[in-house]
Amino acid sequence: MKIKVRYFGQIKEITGKSDEYLVEQFETVQSLKSFLKKRYPELNALNFKIAQDNKIDEDSSHLHGTLIDLLPPFSGG
Amino acid sequence: MENRYQRHIQLTEIGTEGQQKIKKSKVLVVGAGGLGCPALQYLTAAGVGTLGIMDADVVTASNLQRQILFNENDLGKNKAVVAQERLRQLNSEITIKSYPFALTHENVADFINLFEIIIDGTDNFYTRYLINDQCILSKKVMIYGALFKFEGQVSVFNHKDGPSYRCLFPSPPKVGEIPNCSEVGVLGVVPGIIGMYQATEALKIILGFEDVLSGKLLCVNLLNHSNTLFNFEKRDTEIKKIKKLKRVIPIENKDCFVDFEVSLTQLSSNEKIMWIDVREKDEAPRITHLEIQEYPLSRSITSNSIVQGEAKIIAFCQTGLRSKAFVQKMKNKGIKNCFSLKEGASELNDWGRKI
Repeated sequence: MKIKVRYFGQIKEITGKSDEYLVEQFETVQSLKSFLKKRYPELNALNFKIAQDNKIDEDSSHLHGTLIDLLPPFSGG
Repeated sequence: MENRYQRHIQLTEIGTEGQQKIKKSKVLVVGAGGLGCPALQYLTAAGVGTLGIMDADVVTASNLQRQILFNENDLGKNKAVVAQERLRQLNSEITIKSYPFALTHENVADFINLFEIIIDGTDNFYTRYLINDQCILSKKVMIYGALFKFEGQVSVFNHKDGPSYRCLFPSPPKVGEIPNCSEVGVLGVVPGIIGMYQATEALKIILGFEDVLSGKLLCVNLLNHSNTLFNFEKRDTEIKKIKKLKRVIPIENKDCFVDFEVSLTQLSSNEKIMWIDVREKDEAPRITHLEIQEYPLSRSITSNSIVQGEAKIIAFCQTGLRSKAFVQKMKNKGIKNCFSLKEGASELNDWGRKI
């Protein structure tokens, strides 16, 4: 199963792209997170949330979505 | 003014009854900046009966690109006070209160308790978590808005016992982890649009509309117009922590630097000041009319290399960013009375020439 991963805010600058497709298989949200942190080490310094199919999910959740979004908190006002 | 709210009253969803609800409502806007300005304008125009504006900051030139309540004559004046004056001209029939100081652990309960809806127009996590926690304790609704360059986030927290900001992000990021507008820049209209979303949600809540952004995070991207609505759930463990503590959870890192930022407009010419340039030695302009000590941020400083006397220590750089980092370092070394200059070296040079 191919998944589409989209990057928001500062994460887009870390990865250098707004989205990409992954063909790897992941059990949980956490295992996808670990994979991305290895590919983009700067993500280690950042607090972010993962949504699958437009629902923000816990790290321990089973990864079932085909659309994954990485959401950092925003500051600026 | 008889016909002022006619276009609201014409809507069957609002009517005279709805307009009365708006009149009776009480909204506090924390931060009269990029988000706060447009939100305040629309809420004033809509006839929100009691409006509070809280901001400790003064208007600076770099605010004018997006903080549309202010003009060139307002430079150096407090934002809350100027906003109040402007908004009174728009609607003299409502009560507008200005609070020209920062929201802190000490005063957060007092002010949030005076209102029903709190609009988060802050540019820092310290104040955002303060508002979030106190809204849980005081049973108030928080309307969140935040930005990054061309993107924005909007949500409604603690609405009818719904999820809070901590259900999304349980703890604040470390200082410097997430940059704000003054550090990375922002397209001026982005806070305008996000602030208007916040005003919209406030009015919908006042009017009792069902479909508000509670348990939903709206992410707006104005470069490609892809708006995404995310759902998220309440995390009872996070909310219980605050309720059990019965006060806001203390936050170590004050990323807003309320206590350690200073503007040239707040300084008098006879004050004893030790100026510290934290820029590299080849950066222009050099300061010509003031006595300056140079401690480039790239070099490490031992704790006793800065001797603390009676003088106020003020660090500066080009934009006020590196000087903040320097002050944080000094605080960590236990050096008090140390501030970061909001303005940059060229403004300081002009100021030094005049005094």
